[in-house]
Amino acid sequence: MSLISLENIVKNYKTMRALDGIDLNIEPGVTGLLGPNGAGKSTLIKLLLGLVKLTSGSGTVLGQPLGSHGRRVRNLIGYMPEDDCYIPGMSGVEVVQFAACLSGLPKLEALRRAHEILDFCGMKQERYREIDTFSTGMRQKVKFASSIVHDPQFLILDEPTSGLDPEEREALLTRIRMMWTQLGKSVLISTHILPDVQAICDEVVILSRGKIRLCESLEKLNQTDAPSYQVRIDENESEFLSAMLQLGFAATTTEQKDLVFESDDPQFGEKTWQTALLTGTRIHSIAPVKNSLEGIFMATVEDATDAPEETNANS
Amino acid sequence: MPIHDVGYRPWNGEKTPQFSRWWVICETGIRLAAKSRWVRRILFVAWLPVMYWGVGFFFLEQALDADSQSLFSIVDSDDEVQLESVEDFKNEAQQLGRNAGRMEIRRLLGRRFSMFPHAEDLAKSLETGDPEIIRNDIWRWLLMVFFRYPQSLLILFLIGTVAPALISRDLRSRAFLLYFSRPIGKLEYMLGKLCIPAAFIMAVSTLPALALYLFAIVMSPSLSVFWSTWDIPLRIIGATIALVLPTSAIALMLSSLTQESRFANFSWFAVWALGHGAWLAILLATSMGMKKAPFHPDVLASTQVQNWSVLSLYNCLGDAQEFIFGFERFEDVWRGSLVLVCLTLFSIWILYRRISAPVSV
Repeated sequence: MSLISLENIVKNYKTMRALDGIDLNIEPGVTGLLGPNGAGKSTLIKLLLGLVKLTSGSGTVLGQPLGSHGRRVRNLIGYMPEDDCYIPGMSGVEVVQFAACLSGLPKLEALRRAHEILDFCGMKQERYREIDTFSTGMRQKVKFASSIVHDPQFLILDEPTSGLDPEEREALLTRIRMMWTQLGKSVLISTHILPDVQAICDEVVILSRGKIRLCESLEKLNQTDAPSYQVRIDENESEFLSAMLQLGFAATTTEQKDLVFESDDPQFGEKTWQTALLTGTRIHSIAPVKNSLEGIFMATVEDATDAPEETNANS
Repeated sequence: MPIHDVGYRPWNGEKTPQFSRWWVICETGIRLAAKSRWVRRILFVAWLPVMYWGVGFFFLEQALDADSQSLFSIVDSDDEVQLESVEDFKNEAQQLGRNAGRMEIRRLLGRRFSMFPHAEDLAKSLETGDPEIIRNDIWRWLLMVFFRYPQSLLILFLIGTVAPALISRDLRSRAFLLYFSRPIGKLEYMLGKLCIPAAFIMAVSTLPALALYLFAIVMSPSLSVFWSTWDIPLRIIGATIALVLPTSAIALMLSSLTQESRFANFSWFAVWALGHGAWLAILLATSMGMKKAPFHPDVLASTQVQNWSVLSLYNCLGDAQEFIFGFERFEDVWRGSLVLVCLTLFSIWILYRRISAPVSV
C-alpha cells in the first residue's frame, strides 16, 4: 500500500492556485520534500493533515481518503511544525504531555510517555524549565518529542534541523533515520537543508510553483549518466595521468584539483592502484562520482521558473 | 540524565474517547490561568461577599423565626391555661412573631437596601402573604443581588485577567498548530477555550450561590424549607448560563482578534465601560431634564433610559438575571436578552472565523 497517493490535486486560495494538478505516489520510507519558498509545500502538508479542503482531485494518506477523514488521519500522523508553536507558561515536559493528551493518551500515561520520549530525544533536566526560556535547539527537541509521543505511523517534519548545532543536528537525523529503519515509521521531511535530505532520505520530491517537478529515489538521482570516479592524489600528477591515459582512461580536473575518470571498466580500481604503485603516486581517495542534489534541485527549480505561468486559479 | 533510558518504545494503550479531548484544553487552560497571582487574588476576594451574604441569610432566618419562638416559650410555660384558648393564643403569638420578624426585614429593605432593584416591592409584599412564599422571595432577591452587584464586578475583573491571553497567546506563539495537527476539531478547541472563563465565572458565582443556598437551608427552622425553595438552585444555574455564554464568547472573540493580549484586555474593559458610560450619560441627561436625582425610580423608569439601557452590557446581563430570578417579566427584558443573544452569536461566529483563518492559509 502506498503511503501517499494523490491524483490531480488542485488547491486554490481565492484567485491563487497553490497546488496545480498534483499527481504523487510516495512509498513507505524517508522522503524529502524540497521546493523554493511559496512552492506549495506547506499547503501540501496541511492537505495531508486534512486541515485544508481540496478544490479538486482525490487521494489517500495511509489508506485513508483525503478530505473526509481528517481526524482519523491526524490520529495516525505525527506533525512537527516549522514554527515555534508552544504554549507559554508550560514546562517542556508539560508541553509533550499536553500533546500526548490531545492525541488521546490518558493523563498519567501521557506524563510517563512524555518523560520516556524526552529521554529518547536527549533532553535532560531542562525539561522542567518553562518553555519560554528554551533555546531554539531545545524547542526543536520538544517539538520533535511532541510529534512522536503518541507513537504515530507516519511523521511529517517541517524543517526539523533548523536552529540545531552540528552535533544535535547529527543526533536528530540519526533518530529520524532510525524511526524508519528500526521502527518502520515512514517520514516526510520538508526542508531547505539539502545535506539533510542527502543524509537520510530514500526518495526526493521537488515541488515548484504548485507542481511536482521531480519524484525519484535518491539512489537513482545520485547516479551519473556514465560511471565516473573521482581520484585525489598528492604528487606525481603528470606521470600518473600519462600512465592512466596509456591504459585508456582520460581524466578531467575539478576545481578542487581532483581527477575525474569516466569509465565502466570493472577493474578500474585495481588498475588505478597498480598505476599509482608504478609511478610512485600516493592516492588520497577514490570515490564514485555522484550527482549533486543541489545541482539537481537548482536545475529543476530553474526549469520550473522558465515554464509559463500556470498558477492562476482562473486560468 | 535518565537512570534507565529505554529508547523509543511503541505505544499501544487505550486512547481516551474523542468527545473528551476538549476537556484537556480546558483543564490545561484553567491550570495555566490559575498560576497567575492576580487571578488567585481575585478568586480570594470574590469569595469574601459570600460571608456577608451568609450573615444576611443567618439574620434573615433569625428574624423570621426568633420572635415567634420567644412568644412560643411564654405560651408553652403556662400549662394551666385552657387548651382551646392556648391554641388560639399560640396562633396569635405565631402571627405576631412573624409580623415582628417581617417588620424588621421590611425596615431593613426599606432603609438599607432601597437602592437595589425591587427592594421596595419586596418590602411591601412582606405585609401579606404566605411565610414560605416570602422566604422564597427574599432568598431569590438576595441571590439576585449577589449575582448582579459584587459578583458581576468581580467577574468583570477576573475575566479581564484570564480570557484575553487564551487565544491571542496561541496566535502569537502559533500554538494552534499544536492543537490542529492532532485529532482536534475547531469546535472542540472553541469549546475547550470557552470553558476556561466559564469555569472561573462559575467558581465565583454559581458555587458560592449554591453554597449560600445550602447555608440558608441549614439556617432555616426545618429542612422542609427545601420544598418551598427548590426552584432557587435552578434559577442559579439559569443565571449562570445567562452570565457565562455572552461574557465568555465576547472575551474570547476579543482575544482572537489580536496577537497582543493587552489589546484584548483593554478592549474587554472598554466594551463594558463605554457601553455603561454611554447609558449613564443618557441617564444623567434625563435626570437633569426631569429635575430629579439620577437614580430616582421615575428617572430609571423613563422611556428614554429604558430604551437606551441595551447600550450597557451590564444592564443587559442584569435584566436577564432579574428575569431568571423572577423579578421581571419577559416583556420588560426582551431587548436586553436579544442583545445578549445577538452578541453571543456574533462573537462565536467571529471566533470561529478567526480560529479557522491561520490554519486555512
